[in-house]
Amino acid sequence: MNNFWNPYLQPDDRQRRIIGAASVLALLVFWSILAVTGIVSPARLPAPWDVLKAMAYLSWHEGESLLLTATLWSLGRLLVAGFLVVAIGIPAGIVMGASPRVNAAVSPLVDPFRSAPVVALLPILVMWLGVGEEMKIAFLFIGAVVYLIPMVRDAIQAVPQNYWISARDLGATQWECIIRAVIPMAMPRITDAVIVAFSVMWTYITVAEYVNAKSGLGQLIQNARRFSAWDQVFAGIFIIMALALLTYQLMTAIKRKLYPWETQL
Amino acid sequence: MSDSGQVRLLASISVELIDIIQEYPSPSGGVTRVVDGISLAFSKPGINMLLGPSGCGKSTILQMMGGVRPINAKTPTSGKVMINGIECNDAHDDSVMVFQRYANRPDLSVYDNVAFPFRLNLWKKKVPEAEWHKRVAEMLEETGLKDKKDLSPAQLSGGQNQRVALARALVLRPRILLMDEPFGALDAQTREEMQRLLISLYNEHPCLIVFVTHDVTEALMLGDRVIVLSSQPAKVSDDFTITAMRPRSADWQRSDEARQLEKRILTSLHTAPGRGVVRVTI
Repeated sequence: MNNFWNPYLQPDDRQRRIIGAASVLALLVFWSILAVTGIVSPARLPAPWDVLKAMAYLSWHEGESLLLTATLWSLGRLLVAGFLVVAIGIPAGIVMGASPRVNAAVSPLVDPFRSAPVVALLPILVMWLGVGEEMKIAFLFIGAVVYLIPMVRDAIQAVPQNYWISARDLGATQWECIIRAVIPMAMPRITDAVIVAFSVMWTYITVAEYVNAKSGLGQLIQNARRFSAWDQVFAGIFIIMALALLTYQLMTAIKRKLYPWETQL
Repeated sequence: MSDSGQVRLLASISVELIDIIQEYPSPSGGVTRVVDGISLAFSKPGINMLLGPSGCGKSTILQMMGGVRPINAKTPTSGKVMINGIECNDAHDDSVMVFQRYANRPDLSVYDNVAFPFRLNLWKKKVPEAEWHKRVAEMLEETGLKDKKDLSPAQLSGGQNQRVALARALVLRPRILLMDEPFGALDAQTREEMQRLLISLYNEHPCLIVFVTHDVTEALMLGDRVIVLSSQPAKVSDDFTITAMRPRSADWQRSDEARQLEKRILTSLHTAPGRGVVRVTI
């Protein structure tokens, strides 16, 4: 237990993996005990193996995979909304970060939404856009873009002034300083913002798909809940968590590949 | 640019500071005068040292000679800076600045850092592509970075990073090179190496260099002309020329001439009231 309270000394990779796996295992054991002893009734908390069975059932049953279909639907919505978030949010954040006057005008309109109850907007979106795909995409878009825009703005403002001054001194126009110096230097943090936006969208996807549930992982969970198939509800939740984690890991790996210089600073 | 063209352009450099006063609003509500009535004229290629204690307003003066003025105040408060007879109010195409905190881009290779100015519209229009490729290659060679051109700045030492900054400035063939304590953050040995490099680069590409330093020895080793500034507010307290050939040897540094000049500088700094610090390397 040397260096137990030393936050600057990381245990090596192997040790960290062992500790992590042990704590997941401990939770599974605890959960299993609850299920076997009947302390919590199976109607309230399905056993881990029941959840596994539900996952297998959802993955493949009678020649079709409910899980794959639902995942593809959710993923599709996420990608469409994600594309819009990136295409609109990044330029907006860059312009706000690059021009304090634009920021002064726009930030009172954007920043409050970061703490707005986005879920409460759902009925309004239904009223405006109906219960179809437009509403679902719009909901995911709003939920994520209100995080992305301020993060992109902050990424731009965090670039040290000397890069701007140096480019300006070499004859760049102010706009060229932004394009040629500030944005390239802000890219790692802008990418972080995109990663956060996708994580946020994974957490909102179920909410978007509860309304007029016809397809997607949210619908799968909602449907299971209606029949009190709690094992399937748990399975659906775990699948979403796994997909969100996978997205995160993938995007982080891409980011490291694109901006290797960030870690050398 | 042909050789004769370069000579003609060099002959026409003139930088004039006319009665420069700079004031900033002070936190206590009044105004603080940091530069008080400085008039200086530079009219030919040479290494001109602006020597003064740290924080005496040297950098402010340097910025006025064609650099970016990052402060949200009118610069200068009164007086004029004329470059080749034209009043200068902002960054200037004829001048390039080398900073103490080298502004090398961590996301670009050494080569791309040196070639960076040619990605800007201004230089893209002025310098044909074949020409700038040639210049970049030549500068990498002259600064000893040729075999480091694919590395990133994080893989270089402090001195090598400052070589990148010098190369990037000189690819533009500036008529005025402004240097803001460029070697101030380097260790003594690297600093001497960089001073020798600067001299050989200057001999290859003569231009008007204004070099800010708080290092008395550096001023004596490099300068054709040394301008001593007092601090708070900055005023010219001495201004003299040194005719000894460069590079100046350690023997010269121990000569009577050098010792007397050093004494002269220290005396003029001590008689002028000020709070900053100067450095003498022995």
